[in-house]
Amino acid sequence: MSIEIEHIDKRYGAFRALDDVSLEIPRGELTALLGPSGSGKTTLLRIIAGLEQPDPGQGLIRFQGQDIAKVPVSDRRVGFVFQHYALFPHLSVFENVAFGLRVKPRRQRPGDAAIKQKVGALLDLVQLASFAERYPAQLSGGQRQRVALARALAIEPEVLLLDEPFGALDAKVRLELRRWLRRLHDELHVTSVFVTHDQDEAMEVSDRVVIMNQGRIEQIGTPQEVYHRPTSAFVMSFVGQVNVFKGRLPGTVSAASGLHAEGFGAVYFVRPADVDIRPLKSTGTEQALTVARIHTAGPLVRIELAGRGHELITAELTQERFQQLDLAPQQQVQVEFRTVHRFDP
Amino acid sequence: MGAVPAFRFNGVRRTLLTAVVLFLLLFLVAPLVAVFSEALRKGLGAYFAAFTDPAALSAIKLTLLTTAVVIPLNLVFGVAAAWCIAKFRFPGKTLLISLIDLPFAISPVIAGLVFVLLFGRNGWLGAWLEAHDWHIIFAWPGIVLATTFVTLPFIARELIPYMQEQGRDEEEAARLMGANGWQILFRITLPRAKLALLYGIVLCNARAMGEFGAVSVVSGHVRGQTDTLPLHVEVLYNEYDFSAAFAVASLLTLLALVTLVIKTWLERRGVHATRSA
Repeated sequence: MSIEIEHIDKRYGAFRALDDVSLEIPRGELTALLGPSGSGKTTLLRIIAGLEQPDPGQGLIRFQGQDIAKVPVSDRRVGFVFQHYALFPHLSVFENVAFGLRVKPRRQRPGDAAIKQKVGALLDLVQLASFAERYPAQLSGGQRQRVALARALAIEPEVLLLDEPFGALDAKVRLELRRWLRRLHDELHVTSVFVTHDQDEAMEVSDRVVIMNQGRIEQIGTPQEVYHRPTSAFVMSFVGQVNVFKGRLPGTVSAASGLHAEGFGAVYFVRPADVDIRPLKSTGTEQALTVARIHTAGPLVRIELAGRGHELITAELTQERFQQLDLAPQQQVQVEFRTVHRFDP
Repeated sequence: MGAVPAFRFNGVRRTLLTAVVLFLLLFLVAPLVAVFSEALRKGLGAYFAAFTDPAALSAIKLTLLTTAVVIPLNLVFGVAAAWCIAKFRFPGKTLLISLIDLPFAISPVIAGLVFVLLFGRNGWLGAWLEAHDWHIIFAWPGIVLATTFVTLPFIARELIPYMQEQGRDEEEAARLMGANGWQILFRITLPRAKLALLYGIVLCNARAMGEFGAVSVVSGHVRGQTDTLPLHVEVLYNEYDFSAAFAVASLLTLLALVTLVIKTWLERRGVHATRSA
């Protein structure tokens, strides 16, 4: 089911949590709401679920074209996964997943056999079939979150909302679980929205990324689009590492970069991977930089360069290129920027 | 460094420990021993005779009846108040929390007098009640009212912090899965607060059975009719029937000990440890 959000405002006292937010979430896609804390992403998710009300005004939310303002939370068919799982601690895994089926009005409620079969299928799906009789306290964080997901799916939701679903897990489990979530989504194709402040997570898992900042949407696009064609300085700095230069670039610019004049007062953004290191042509030039530090642990070699009048420049080279240049600390080099983004303040 | 500060610390610890033990012996253990030894002074026969006396039986019955009415009343009020305070934001919430504590702050005697003022013969509603031949003061309804007032905070006070700490995620999850308000209350909120609820009931029960001041004012002391157990103890004592007085008192003391055991057991079960998973 597609979700259309139009002109939603939400204030908490003087704080503007959401400032005229409009957004369309296409049916069957996995969309990430990405932003720093306080950017309004969780508020937006909770408003879609109906757990919070938008401020009265012209704001509107539609599921598949239908205004849902009057639809009570319990009838929205929204599956919601909480950051801290929100499993029912006094119920077994089986009963947690069965809950949504057991509370249905008598006429729609499936029989015990049907519930058993359905819960069994869901536990298979999240690979926890052998844990049905356990209690939440006996599970690991990753397992709990999978139970929470199975529970959210039990009501056959039209929309699946996930609020920082991996936020409480440790790094390794988080990585496994987010890949697993992507595969699951490819199987089920439920329209899904998940909130995260982790740009890697958003980039890896989602079809589309919505980047939020201070209650507004900064940019909407595929992970490739927001990474390679950011439309604002905020997006540029938020979705990856970046070198920032004010007014003047401390190196040459590759002809393919599409950047011509240098403007006074302009701000340039260059990703570390777009910084190429070259041997110094002539000493004493303004563009001479000193290799300050070399980090070789990792798929790319990260090099920090010091120069006059700006902060350390970070460059990322392939291992091959690094070998070829044969760099050592304190060595003098110069740089060429392959791709430069310019955002005038 | 080394042994000297540790030694001094041990000294402090020993002094404090001795003080605590002395206090416990003087104020808790000695009275307990006194109650049971006085009660059994004339032998087991006299001890049990004290309970089979019609006035004693009537007092036991009235006390049980009062408790049986007061606890459900408090249960409904406590759960409703705790649910409102812990799960919702509304104007006047702080006032409501303070009001719940009012019975703790007011002397029970005054609580009793308030009901006499309201429902007594010369009270605000006295004439109207008399016209309908309804007896509240100097009858069991007055005793129930006074006891309810005094015990009002117990269940709510236990539940509020517990339910607040649990947050709202689970309730929201249940709501999103289609549960209605009653289903959330009975299937999620109350089962999760089960131990705190039991704890509140146990404390409320102990206080309801033991309440003296407020009940004393509204009961009128009609022997065999409006005397509860604590009032009966006083009557016996005033009549110099010490062994019977202490025998009945020992019953209340036993109740206190049982309460203590249940309370400890509940704490072991983790009233304050069961967190959301």
